[in-house]
Amino acid sequence: MQRVEHVMGMPIVVDVRDDGVDGTIVEQVFDWLRHVDAVFSTYKEDSEISRLERGELLLEHAQPDVRAVLERCAELREKTDGYFDARYAGKLDPSGLVKGWAVDRAAAILDEGGVRNYAVSAGGDMRVRGGALPDPAWRIGIQHPHRRDQVAAVVETRSLAVATSGEYARGRHVWNPHTSAPPNGVLSVTIAGPDLATADAYATAAFAMGARGPHWTARLNGYEAMTILADGLVLSTPGFATARETTFA
Amino acid sequence: MRRALTALFGAAALAAPVVDVAQAATKSKVTVVKKTVSGAETQVDRWGTIRVTLVVKKTTTVTGTKKKVSRSIVGVKVPVYPNHTDRSVYINQQALPYLVQETLHAQMNPNIQLISGATDTSDAFVQSLQSAILLAKKV
Repeated sequence: MQRVEHVMGMPIVVDVRDDGVDGTIVEQVFDWLRHVDAVFSTYKEDSEISRLERGELLLEHAQPDVRAVLERCAELREKTDGYFDARYAGKLDPSGLVKGWAVDRAAAILDEGGVRNYAVSAGGDMRVRGGALPDPAWRIGIQHPHRRDQVAAVVETRSLAVATSGEYARGRHVWNPHTSAPPNGVLSVTIAGPDLATADAYATAAFAMGARGPHWTARLNGYEAMTILADGLVLSTPGFATARETTFA
Repeated sequence: MRRALTALFGAAALAAPVVDVAQAATKSKVTVVKKTVSGAETQVDRWGTIRVTLVVKKTTTVTGTKKKVSRSIVGVKVPVYPNHTDRSVYINQQALPYLVQETLHAQMNPNIQLISGATDTSDAFVQSLQSAILLAKKV
């Protein structure tokens, strides 16, 4: 069962491959995502994030989810040397974390509902489990930065979160918060690991670091990375290179 | 130690695969093998020893009597490194991160279900490709 819906400003794909799964669980996932949008959107006047920003809501009165997400943003800001920042230019915008966090929770809803073979994909970032039945695993292509109909690599997996941050598709949407300049020399950074919120924040941070990003990704615990440089070089952590290569064996 | 690893990756870059376009029209036989090779266990001053293993992909293309071999490093592991004290384990975990270097390739790959890429909420190219793939699966 595949369903695509436009939520949180992007089409979200929920693809469930188990037999005998009815639409109820997929509906629950989209209900959850719509709820996240209502609470966290910076575009919605009455969202808790907008009300916090205007000073109409005190943090201690915000929903536990809002407090948890903002705490996580602060932790990730520290882990990324300030490169992942939900308060860039003084404005509160945790959406860089919210998408991944919402998809992680969506995966938990499917897990708890007994679904064992699924993918949830939001804006080029995704979480998968099991296989794309009848295929025994999921095959995830990493977008080629210049050739829009082709991929630069394929990862085959039965359990993974994958996030990519880059400049080729969105224009310069990620800036180095320390220099207020766009990162140089890097086209995209893909991070793979157990949790999408973290993978997404790491991808954003590593991309913002520019040329120093690949070396930073080499030190991440539990997360693997692939960086595509403007001069056509690809730098992967060994775990990423191995995961990718096994696909072609 | 780090200098040695850098030299290693330099060699990997030189071994980028070569495609002979002129030969593409005639019949070629391509063989791909992957082998793991272990470097010698080498003493690191007084701290202990290090061993590096590489996974090498060897592509052999035979066209008529011409034979072309290209090799690229697709994986690196450091199974042995100095760890005679907790401190050296810590230092090596910090100092040994390494990256595999390759040349960017494009591939048409219809057998994928998902695409990860940088996106734009208005110019949502990746989603468009994604939905095309979903549709292609139903053709």
